[in-house]
Amino acid sequence: MRNLFGYVGRAFIAFLGILSRIYFLFRETLVQSRIVLHDPVRRGQAGILRRIDEVGARSLPLVMTVSAFLGIAFTVLVSFQLRELGALSYLPGFVAVALLREVGPLITALIIAGRVGAAFTSRIGTMKVAEEILALETMAINPVRFLVVNRFLAMLVSLPALTVIASVTALAGGFLYGNLRLGITLDTYLRETLDVIVFKDVYSGLLKSVVFAAVIVLVGCDRGFAVEGGAEGVGRATMLAVVSSTLTIIVFDTIMTTAFYG
Amino acid sequence: MITVDNISKTYGNRKVLDGLCFSAEGRKITYVFGTSGGGKSTMLKILIGATAPDSGEVRYGDLDITALRGRSLDPYRKRIGVLFQNNALLNSLTVAENIALPIREHTALDQNIVHIMVKMKLELVGLRDFEDLYPEQLSGGMQKRVALARALALDPEVVYFDEPTSGLDPIIASVITKLIKDLNRLLGITCIVVTHAVHEAMKIADKIILLYRGKVLAEGTPQEIRESADPLVQQFITGSPDGPISFHASSKDFRDDLLVG
Repeated sequence: MRNLFGYVGRAFIAFLGILSRIYFLFRETLVQSRIVLHDPVRRGQAGILRRIDEVGARSLPLVMTVSAFLGIAFTVLVSFQLRELGALSYLPGFVAVALLREVGPLITALIIAGRVGAAFTSRIGTMKVAEEILALETMAINPVRFLVVNRFLAMLVSLPALTVIASVTALAGGFLYGNLRLGITLDTYLRETLDVIVFKDVYSGLLKSVVFAAVIVLVGCDRGFAVEGGAEGVGRATMLAVVSSTLTIIVFDTIMTTAFYG
Repeated sequence: MITVDNISKTYGNRKVLDGLCFSAEGRKITYVFGTSGGGKSTMLKILIGATAPDSGEVRYGDLDITALRGRSLDPYRKRIGVLFQNNALLNSLTVAENIALPIREHTALDQNIVHIMVKMKLELVGLRDFEDLYPEQLSGGMQKRVALARALALDPEVVYFDEPTSGLDPIIASVITKLIKDLNRLLGITCIVVTHAVHEAMKIADKIILLYRGKVLAEGTPQEIRESADPLVQQFITGSPDGPISFHASSKDFRDDLLVG
């Protein structure tokens, strides 16, 4: 029993430690982002566009493929239930609300946490192991400004954009099934969709994606900076980063969905 | 002038530095050497402000480095250069970008001037034609020289070298040693070299500090060290496996250790 208390206590203290690290990283990132955005020379050097290409544009094929299939699968399931109830005309609206509010932002964030967040951790972790971060510090170069700010700004732009694209692709997938299997015309599908969705459905999803972007960058970079002990350490940190950001995203998603619509 | 005053550092149960005291004069080459695990790397980390000692202080002129934390170390760090053992070049940047990095960060110079400065630093280490390559495309010796060019980017007063010749072939090792000597003699840069390469130390050092078990075992000019009567010092210089320094790192008696099971 004492062991159990000890274990829970230690885990809780470790959790608080990580929270405080992430808080300080977040604060430093905001301060440094301000500096970079206000200084044209630093803004140019930060290579934000290159990062947007790396985290955003290059994630497009994966995000679009997954969301198209998901849109189809989701519509298949919903239509099955609605047909039983004789309420098939509600299908487009139902699918649109679920995709815009919940599935689009969540699935995009989870894909990006795996694809990009993991890459952040392993990149920064490898630099930590190779003493590159120590070298930056001894050159009086702020590692957060050099390594986190451009990733942070790129993600704040990319993830909401990817979320919109993912939601639209999933909706298109849904329409494809509705049209080909259920015979719903484009006109009807669009009208039914636009009748139901409101602006809040769109901006709540976008707001979620902004929060998820911050979570992915901060958790990914923090785990990278925390790497100890060579290649094995990098592997462990990368795995931990994906697990922690996935969990955090889902917790934040539940909190925000409840706050908006609960 | 760098003064190390009574610094101690413990990792877990292991006391790595135990009241270390020495001073290194400005515009001179000071070599610090000792056995592996003798506290050299920890000492260097404390000197560059990467680790804080448990007690004691390090002064650079009037500046107490050990009292500074985080951003307040920056003014000191802009006055020093560090050549890391594994070079620590940024792999995502080209040779030129690596060297330009500290210049761009700390000066508002025009791109063309930065470019000229980079060329000058590369010429200093004999690698002017390699500016567009990435570190991984270079050999170990070339990477070392690029890392040195980067350490010199901001015209530092002091350059710290961590094992500058380990893992290099004898010719490149001599080239690096000559570069250290030239930096000191021609540019007046204070050089602090941490190494276990005794022979190069004997060749160019103004002062040698011999570290053993976290303390200074002996210090003086190469001549004084060579003539020391201390058998420990002699074993260091000759590199003999037989002598007062045992190669056994464990403190327990072997017989007792076997009989416990």
